[in-house]
Amino acid sequence: MKTIKTAFLALLSTLGLIASPPLFAETAENSPSAFSFNGFGTLGATRSSSSEAGFVRELSQPHGSAGKWRTEPDSLFGLQANWQATSELAVIGQVISRYHVGSSYDPEVSWAFLRWEPNGNASFRMGRLGTDFYLFSDSRQVGYSYLTVRPSADFFGVLPFSHIDGADAQFTWPIGAAFLKARLHYGWLDEKLPLADRRWNLSGSRMVGGSLTFQQGAWTLRASSSSLRFEHNLPINELTDGLRSVSSMFPSAGAAADRLDIAGSTSRFHSLGGVYDEGPLQAQLMISRVTHSSASFQNWWAGYALVGYRIGQFTPFVGYSWIRSQAKTLNPGLPSGIDPGLDQLAIGTAQVLADSHSNQHTTTFGVRWDFATRLALKLQLDLIRGKPDSLFPYRDETAAWKGHTNVSTIVLDYVF
Amino acid sequence: MLRRVLTCLALFACCTMLQAADIVVVVRSDSEIGILERSDVINIFLGRFRKLQSGGHVEPLDLPAHSSECEHFYQRLIGKTPAEINAYWARLLFTGRVFPPRAMDSQERLLDTLLGNPRAIGYLERDKVDRRLRIVYEMSGP
Repeated sequence: MKTIKTAFLALLSTLGLIASPPLFAETAENSPSAFSFNGFGTLGATRSSSSEAGFVRELSQPHGSAGKWRTEPDSLFGLQANWQATSELAVIGQVISRYHVGSSYDPEVSWAFLRWEPNGNASFRMGRLGTDFYLFSDSRQVGYSYLTVRPSADFFGVLPFSHIDGADAQFTWPIGAAFLKARLHYGWLDEKLPLADRRWNLSGSRMVGGSLTFQQGAWTLRASSSSLRFEHNLPINELTDGLRSVSSMFPSAGAAADRLDIAGSTSRFHSLGGVYDEGPLQAQLMISRVTHSSASFQNWWAGYALVGYRIGQFTPFVGYSWIRSQAKTLNPGLPSGIDPGLDQLAIGTAQVLADSHSNQHTTTFGVRWDFATRLALKLQLDLIRGKPDSLFPYRDETAAWKGHTNVSTIVLDYVF
Repeated sequence: MLRRVLTCLALFACCTMLQAADIVVVVRSDSEIGILERSDVINIFLGRFRKLQSGGHVEPLDLPAHSSECEHFYQRLIGKTPAEINAYWARLLFTGRVFPPRAMDSQERLLDTLLGNPRAIGYLERDKVDRRLRIVYEMSGP
């Protein structure tokens, strides 16, 4: 079944290539209203050398590559329709088919919004929008737009949501030859996240945040901050119900269950990013700090640096990224060895805490080859070095997982 | 082998630079758009800021991505290849932020569109410019 879906995706992609109209298709000249249709896609093969844990591009993917070549992690296909109704008003819709929750390629509506630009300084969007709470986080799926085969998995992979249903506003102020841009966003998530054989429902979780961007010549600097208040708990109710059922005897068990609850808890995402892009050279540096008020997720620091230099049609690049989380302590205060049920609750609590731990760094080497118009071939090697307890970024970890793996990837990116 | 390929590519890039046509940025002669700095031209063509003094939008026009004029224009303006410009626009277009300049299929077509719209701005070879147009920015040599 999976193979059929992959084949279908490949077919769709190929059709996209053959039917390519010119990129950013010409619009009817002199007409105030204009419709255009564009697409993007990636055909990729990914192999993580370790068979002890599944390497995924991001946590929305239920299974990853574990010792075998897989097309799922890095292949996708997207279509976008743009309608510039007037010089101030545009309507944009985008659909993406990629491997995600439920091991399916079911297309999802990634964007569907109305954009209103009453003047050159302000832009308002309403509907389903990309959440760009980090620099570049709203273009994560458009492989052709960046240098590497995928956005850094250490940095972006642990953020499994891509859009909000809500609104954002952007204001731009010119300061000499530079710009200051302020952006605010408010909305609700609607995605679901795979967790082992279950799903965590993120829908209804409220996100509010903003960013400040300074842009001058080749430099872009950005600070952003978002806060997310969760609507639903993790699908671990056997554990939390169990802890609560013994709370009359062990009050600390009830307190532990409350700390494991995510519904009503808040996660905060802060980031600082800098980009230098001039002639053949491009360099990026980003750092993020993420905190969670629930004990079910550990707070982390993550970052990456990337430098590429174009030589003719080839752009070799090197990168370094890391993620490190701080363990939380949560003692349900259950005596051990008295009752197997109580032991299970204690083990379950410890396991939930351990599952969100990350401690690893990745060195990346690769090359992008712009061999034809709107087509790029990329080769990349990621050397991931972490501790055996670095479990959060992976799927299907086994007890033998050592925290080390080398990920080889080849992708063909295109836009039309 | 790789070295030889790279050398050829580098040589090819140099040759095309030497034959670079003289490109100028133009508007209709009665347009309110005045003389521009390099940073203004970058802002308009890369979609960073397209506001006129009067409050309206500037409407940039492009030539086909692989025409030599387009290649020279972006190479001289910001040192980027057509592939890099396409990648840049892929990011902005597919995040729904801003649309790229409208692509005209020829210089003649671009000239007609410019003459029909005082808010439009485009680039042409200098010898295509006549009295109906006004030069607002001259590309400095490579």
